[in-house]
Amino acid sequence: MKARRVVYAIARADFLERVRRYSYLITLLFAVYLGYAAGTGRISLRLGDYRGLYTSAWIGAMVSMVATTFLSLVGFYIVKNAVDRDRQTRVGEILAATPLTKVPYLVGKFLSNFAVLVSMVGVLALAAVAMQFLAAEDRTFHAWALLSPFLFLTLPAMAMTAAMALLFETFRFLRGSFGNVLWFFLWSFGISLPVVTGLPQLDPSGLWTVYQSMAPAARAGIPGYVDKFSLTNADKAVRVATGFHWSGVEWTAEIVILRLAWMAVAFALVLCGAWFFDRFDPARSRRKPVARPRSEGAATAAGTAPEFPTARLPITTSSHITPLASGARHSGAWRLLIAELRLALKGYRWWWYAVAGGLLIAQLAAPLDVARGPLLAAAWIWPILVWSALGTREARFGTEQLIFSCARILPRQFPAAWMAGIIVAVLTGLGAAVRLALAGQHAGLLAWAAGALFIPSLALALGVWSGTSKFFEGLYTAMWYIGPMNRVPGLDFTGSASGPQASRHALLYLGGAAILVAAAFLRRARQLHGTY
Amino acid sequence: MKLEIENVSKTYRGNVEALRKFSLELGPGVLGLLGPNGAGKSTLMRILATITQPTGGWVLWNGTNIRYAPDKLRNVLGYLPQDFGIYPNLSAVEFLEYLAAVKGLEAASAHKRIGELLELVNLADAARRPLGGFSGGMRQRVGIAQALLNDPEVLIVDEPTAGLDPEERVRFRNLLSELAGERIVILSTHIVSDVEAVATDIALIAQGQLVVHGAPEALLAAVSGKVWEVVVPSHELPALRRDHLVSSTAHRNDGVHARVVADAAPRPEARALEPTLEDAYLATLAARRQRAAAEAVV
Repeated sequence: MKARRVVYAIARADFLERVRRYSYLITLLFAVYLGYAAGTGRISLRLGDYRGLYTSAWIGAMVSMVATTFLSLVGFYIVKNAVDRDRQTRVGEILAATPLTKVPYLVGKFLSNFAVLVSMVGVLALAAVAMQFLAAEDRTFHAWALLSPFLFLTLPAMAMTAAMALLFETFRFLRGSFGNVLWFFLWSFGISLPVVTGLPQLDPSGLWTVYQSMAPAARAGIPGYVDKFSLTNADKAVRVATGFHWSGVEWTAEIVILRLAWMAVAFALVLCGAWFFDRFDPARSRRKPVARPRSEGAATAAGTAPEFPTARLPITTSSHITPLASGARHSGAWRLLIAELRLALKGYRWWWYAVAGGLLIAQLAAPLDVARGPLLAAAWIWPILVWSALGTREARFGTEQLIFSCARILPRQFPAAWMAGIIVAVLTGLGAAVRLALAGQHAGLLAWAAGALFIPSLALALGVWSGTSKFFEGLYTAMWYIGPMNRVPGLDFTGSASGPQASRHALLYLGGAAILVAAAFLRRARQLHGTY
Repeated sequence: MKLEIENVSKTYRGNVEALRKFSLELGPGVLGLLGPNGAGKSTLMRILATITQPTGGWVLWNGTNIRYAPDKLRNVLGYLPQDFGIYPNLSAVEFLEYLAAVKGLEAASAHKRIGELLELVNLADAARRPLGGFSGGMRQRVGIAQALLNDPEVLIVDEPTAGLDPEERVRFRNLLSELAGERIVILSTHIVSDVEAVATDIALIAQGQLVVHGAPEALLAAVSGKVWEVVVPSHELPALRRDHLVSSTAHRNDGVHARVVADAAPRPEARALEPTLEDAYLATLAARRQRAAAEAVV
């Protein structure tokens, strides 16, 4: 009874803290957008070139698939801060000094994560109801057929997402940017798990469950149907399969138990997280946490931040500081650029530079197609954490007040940070550029330059606007995977998949980079004017 | 060299008034800004440091409104915020070199000055070690060094001695005194002894308003002849606290020695004492509270 009250109190406080933030409104708006995208056919469920009539069953399956697929990706980044918030606000240290144990704490946080995701699912479920009436292709409303996919498919997937986000927070090496990048690949793997393993039971997203239910009806009702099933954007025309009759997934006991099993797996992951959770004890982390001076005192007292022995000087010392000459106050912009570049690259181990150097040499040595294709793609995902710090470093490390109280930040520090990001892109992808130049492929070179400008511009804009590196890490990884890795023209910002469209796409990316930098500039200007 | 604060107000979201028509004119010297928690000190510091915009009034630096030309002040500003972070992978030298570049300082001068400042804040031995391993006190000293990087004409330090050990605290006070000559130094704190040691001028702020501004001597004069020492048994202390403003107590063999601020001797055997700034501070705040309570009744 007492444990249940503790779990409830933690979940409630965390949920209220989240939903009272401005950012929660944005997450709900994202859910509204997804509902809009599904309702207007921008994202649709397809059986080859066909879709089903907008019945309750079809809409329920489609929108719940949209929710499951997109919210399990984006929702992870949204909720992956439950423990971190307590770490940053120091509430964690207060909680750690109470009899509260790890399991109820993490279960409470899991429930809060889950509640946030469920609230977004709720918005989408409402959108699904509205969609049926607005589309008016079938006026017979079956509440169970429309809502049961949300219940049995989406909610277990959201539980898994909530648990994985929490699990990532309990591992020190998954807490930060590396975990954000890794999640995209895990998510992709999770979606394709039944296909990869050949085990339909391993279907956390539920996509396979829906496919298995629809396929027989599609084979019977769609002429020439060859088992194609996709949730995709509206890039080509779709026809309504009038002969296709499907009344929804038949929720057999086996399916329901399998779906509920994912809830159990989610709960098991939370318990697993409790095993690794450091309970806000900085001594259990290999590295000391980044904290601000006031609270560091506590860590020092606990013996976790040993003070280096420093020679004591007399108390009555005299301040021998050479006054600055008037000319010493105006250094060149290059000095700040070098300082920003050094700051961006500081802290990486030798092997990071070795891999970057290896990729650079490989670009120079490999055939041109390979150099500007997979090798350039690899070279431009490797420094993702360097770029994701752009625009967020000041907020992340709490140096805003030190930096923003300096003169000429907008005309000097802001462009220097951006340029440092560009230099990293240029240096890591230089091999491909040299090869393109030697081959006289000017359009390819232009596309390469556009990519080198676009990446840090995207990082800077997302960083300055969101104050966190998560959005860039998630979005860029997705773009990189779809574009350069899967060679989708238009989304390949390196230009290697664009073919004859390379120049056109390059100009679009250059324009995009300009808009992104302008947006970042405006936001930073507002921050500097103290209106944030 | 003049910093004018004219009718500055700051209202946060939810109609929370942090500052109300605050005015002050500052010249070279150390201004000790005293006030209880939540009085508006840090808000005022952030406004003066060009971090936060006031919602009313203006701040003039040598006649220039810093709202429209913040860089005029930023060029000559040293600021140590109450809470600030560091980059954990950089050493103290690298961090200061980075901030020197951000502040636009020329390399050779900055390099020399960083060495001198690290000596000054007693961090020369740890200068090449990553800041991530520094204790709270050491980070605070790095903060002090960065505030002095550009040889500032205006030095704003917000609770600078928090986290410092007593020895470092005294060193910092002495440093502030030495720096004060031709600069405006604004020292915000609720530690009265820090102000008492270095301030040439004192401003007392409460509930976002300036309560009193003047030389320490003037504040002390206001409570001259009103500070007493009374020795009472322990069980009488609660009654003494209820009836009088007790600024401090100390347990001795003969009872509790209580320091009382009162217009007249609280007991016949009370002994008159020399007032301290803490007595003056507490008496001023108590008088203000009484006035506010009386106005509320009316």
